[in-house]
Amino acid sequence: MVLKVKNPGLYTTVQDLGRYGHQAEGFSPAGAMDYRAFMLANQLLGNDENAPGLEMTLQGASFEVMKDTVIAAAGADMALKVDGEEFSTGVPIPVFKGSLIEFGAAEDGSRTYLAAAGGFKVEPVLGSASTHVRSGIGGYHGRTLQAGDVIGTGDAAAAPRPFRISAIEEAEAVRVIPGQQYDRFSEEMRRKLSGEGYTLTKNCDRMGYRLDGPELVAEGGHDVLSEPTQLGSVQVPKGGMPIVLLNDRQTAGGYARIATVARVDIPKLVQKQPGDTVKFEEISVEEAATLYRDEMEKIRDGGYLEVNNDFRSHVRPTAGKLKRIMER
Amino acid sequence: MEIRQFAENALTIYMGDEIDEKINRKLVALRHHIEGMEGDGINEIVLSYTSLIIYFDIFRTDAGTLEAMMESIDEAALLEEEIEYRVIEIPVCYGGEYGPDIGNFEENGLSEQEVIDMHADKEYLVYMLGFMPGFPYLGGLDEKLHKPRLETPRVRIPAGSVGIGGRQTGMYPFESPGGWNLLGRTPVPLFDPGREETILYAAGDRIIYRPIDEDEYKRIEEEIASGEYEVKYEVKGGG
Repeated sequence: MVLKVKNPGLYTTVQDLGRYGHQAEGFSPAGAMDYRAFMLANQLLGNDENAPGLEMTLQGASFEVMKDTVIAAAGADMALKVDGEEFSTGVPIPVFKGSLIEFGAAEDGSRTYLAAAGGFKVEPVLGSASTHVRSGIGGYHGRTLQAGDVIGTGDAAAAPRPFRISAIEEAEAVRVIPGQQYDRFSEEMRRKLSGEGYTLTKNCDRMGYRLDGPELVAEGGHDVLSEPTQLGSVQVPKGGMPIVLLNDRQTAGGYARIATVARVDIPKLVQKQPGDTVKFEEISVEEAATLYRDEMEKIRDGGYLEVNNDFRSHVRPTAGKLKRIMER
Repeated sequence: MEIRQFAENALTIYMGDEIDEKINRKLVALRHHIEGMEGDGINEIVLSYTSLIIYFDIFRTDAGTLEAMMESIDEAALLEEEIEYRVIEIPVCYGGEYGPDIGNFEENGLSEQEVIDMHADKEYLVYMLGFMPGFPYLGGLDEKLHKPRLETPRVRIPAGSVGIGGRQTGMYPFESPGGWNLLGRTPVPLFDPGREETILYAAGDRIIYRPIDEDEYKRIEEEIASGEYEVKYEVKGGG
């Protein structure tokens, strides 16, 4: 199918699971921030788990459908309307030529993924469809979507599945493992990191989240020789306020890193909004590896899907059909 | 060799704690070793000044297996190894609109021509890439050319610009804001998604700058547009 962007929302980009294998050349991995929601949206449609989708941030986009297809959205709860009719996210929804898909503001969380049967079609760069806006590569001409953009999809590989994404319950804490310069931070500083928590500032984007809270001081200075960054690196520049590096991060950096956010909790962190609080809790790297492996297995084995009994989502509402007939 | 783990899917191998050519050689040799090793699940290897990161697929291998593999490597032998590297020639048009800050070195007592001669006379070692895709962290800049960044950074530096920031020389593969003193610009795209090697160099390679005039700059640009231009490089080292 083909979608025409009516309103691009606040920050909408094409993403897949990321551009890997080129960090040594300085390419940020980019990719869907909430990998779990992204994969689940694709699962509902029977897509490959890496099929390109759209990531919308805080304020959703609207689209005109130019060819019949099926869509699914997952992640932050954004009010979704098709031809003015309300739909829930987390289910496959058939849409028809001429229909208008509208997403509202994110009510719970900050990022919503829109998947389409067959995945969105863009020219891959270094093996990935992910947009990296800072270097202007990947996705739709290396940029965020704009009104008037027309974006196609591939051929559906499978039928949509009669499932819905079940409610995801999570513990409050974001777990971290010791980082590269953990040894530069005293017992007291480590306790501060896992203390009452940090607030997300307004400076939170795909590159990283700047936090505000108890000041962290590194013994022997905050600057280190540039070394590779990792997803979730919690770096502490002079000034003592941590920055969590995320998908669009620079591949090398020179600030002391006290911790790395455990991958299992990345989806939880990236769905927080500016002003929200994040509480860190330290675990071992072995524990983090086990949790991540279990989480990925659960996602892939359908552990977050349940049978969908809500017929409204897979039967086309009459209002929309009538509207289309009248327009003919 | 110090093996550490800071992420579920990565091992970091430290070879020292300072910027040093020997450490770079060891890391490049280690990368070569790992690439040639039997063993599934290694996704990518990233080099920096003092360390190397191995990213792996946690469904196909684990940290313990890789750690044992690393420990089986004879560290002392890494320095003995003759690893191939490339010396890549980057043609640069110095001065004028291509290098608006070349005159700033007069305060260091250097004429434009002296800056060009000094800058183009060296073989620079690529220690690592980062900051932006294809941005090289180069070693070997003559001390006389060290120069602090501009007081007011430029909003837009054209792709291909070659400059000096502090003790570093390097080049911008993408248009970007920045505060470096710009000496010149290369017509050769440092990043080209259509080229087999999208980025021309990797950690362990060397770069030399060849001064060209404006006519040659334009000629190379045309050759690139028509697909006739070939980047010049020499393979050195190796046994």
